[in-house]
Amino acid sequence: MTTATIPSTTPLAGAATTPPASFWNTLGAEWSKVATLRSTYLTLGLGLFLSVATTAVASVAMGATNTAWPEEFDPILFSMVGNVFALIVYSVFGVLAVSREYSSGTIRLTLIATPARHKVLFAKLLLVTLTILAFGMLTTIAMFLVGQALLGAYGFPTTTLAETDAQWVVLGLGATMPFFSIIGLALGVLLRSTAGGITTVLGLLWLPQIFGEFMPAWGQEHIISLFPGSALDSMTLGQMMSAPPYSAPPLAALLAATWLFAIVGAAYVAFQRRDA
Amino acid sequence: MIEVNDVTKQYGDTVAVDHLSFAVKPGIVTGFLGPNGAGKTTTMRMILGLDTPSSGQVTVNGRSYRDIPAPMHEVGALLDAKAAYGGHTAQQHLRWIARAGGIPEKRVGDVLDIVGLADVAGRRVGGFSLGMYQRLGIAVALLGDPRILIFDEPVNGLDPEGIRWIRSFLQQLAADGRTILLSSHLMSEMEETADHIIVIGRGRLIADESIAAFTQRSRSSHVRVVSPRAADLAPLLERAGAIVTRAEGALSVTGMEAPQIGNLAAANGIEVHELATRRASLEAAFMELTESSLQYQADAKKIAAVA
Repeated sequence: MTTATIPSTTPLAGAATTPPASFWNTLGAEWSKVATLRSTYLTLGLGLFLSVATTAVASVAMGATNTAWPEEFDPILFSMVGNVFALIVYSVFGVLAVSREYSSGTIRLTLIATPARHKVLFAKLLLVTLTILAFGMLTTIAMFLVGQALLGAYGFPTTTLAETDAQWVVLGLGATMPFFSIIGLALGVLLRSTAGGITTVLGLLWLPQIFGEFMPAWGQEHIISLFPGSALDSMTLGQMMSAPPYSAPPLAALLAATWLFAIVGAAYVAFQRRDA
Repeated sequence: MIEVNDVTKQYGDTVAVDHLSFAVKPGIVTGFLGPNGAGKTTTMRMILGLDTPSSGQVTVNGRSYRDIPAPMHEVGALLDAKAAYGGHTAQQHLRWIARAGGIPEKRVGDVLDIVGLADVAGRRVGGFSLGMYQRLGIAVALLGDPRILIFDEPVNGLDPEGIRWIRSFLQQLAADGRTILLSSHLMSEMEETADHIIVIGRGRLIADESIAAFTQRSRSSHVRVVSPRAADLAPLLERAGAIVTRAEGALSVTGMEAPQIGNLAAANGIEVHELATRRASLEAAFMELTESSLQYQADAKKIAAVA
């Protein structure tokens, strides 16, 4: 490397004549940032692979070890068994979208380039939502198709996406996949730490269910059903089952929206006010 | 023009910046000096809208940084050169920042050329040396071709070759007529690069003046006088208000300039064999003036008491 001389700059770009950076600039920058990182593809690929592989292994195991299917066997719900891994990995994806900026120190570059912080937050939210919506749909549809094909090969009853129940569950789980990714992103903003964000989002996802196991039906119905995981399931799985932790879909949608607005709202306020 | 107006920044009970006011004048290199922990980085972060002052205002060209519509075209900054994703190449790193600032992609190649990183544009920054990171950080600052540049400790940790490069580079930027605010805890940096210095200690302003004026204020700046009749001259000088110290056949005079000393001696018919102004080095002046404000002085005393 030799010392290059600075070419005498063309009349320095007058700041007054420069158009202000738009939201599309911010969104474009966020896209270039993640689209060029190998970890983005690794994380998304891992979510897809783990969930589809889990469904495949479970389907083969079920087919190979059972000559007759259990009475309550439901091929739709059964093929969604891998969804737990999609939820975990895609929530982590949401946390990382922000926490990675704090751990690498690039948050300061981001905010120096775009001091209008709401633009940065909205760009990240939009990018994570659209990405996980696409991958969520891809994941649940892939799990469904792989599950039906393998179960069918063992002579189990199967179904298709033409069926309304299948649409509710498969497309519903896919479409609501961004929910915990957005919560993860917001927690990343609030906690500014990868470990803290992941622990909290997974805690919010699983702890109510775990405690619910030890609770009487009353507790499940009135406490556990208020948590976001139950609210989300009520809108999809609740269509087919009516176990205690599920609420009626309109109430569940309201609950889920309340959680989302509360946590994202807190992240918005903190992001605007806090020192970076 | 950067203006810091009666700014205080508190983190809990710790006061990082304490009623600080100064202005960075356009078109010159201003050195921003102070011991580690004096509040230099905090001040720069407030200029860039990253931290919000607890009280007071910081403006760039009359506006708060967060209100500038296209900030990268007005101000370029290097805070922490290592802030980058290790998996990005130098080019990818600059590209996303350029996009955020609405800067054409062509400029990325230009700034890589300017800082001498064109050959490694496609290499992942994770494998960069500190010197390369510093060049990359400067490339980021130059993306919007801004008139104002802010560099926080740009030579920290660099080898002599890297230091020389940054120094000559800053001089070229200054020759372009850009406003540069350059922080350092090393005085030696400033002697060659800065026209003006702002010195802070414990978050308070200690000096805001030219380097010459700053060194002159120091006690260690003095006039050395050699005279065969030193014993007669000394009381005369003291009566005129100077402070005189006798040392090995010479007088060390502070509080009076050489011409006045010469005139006084001549008026009294006293021969003078040597009359020389000794300027304190910037380093000495800095040490002396910041001594009282050193963050860890109390600890140092405790250690001394134990020893």
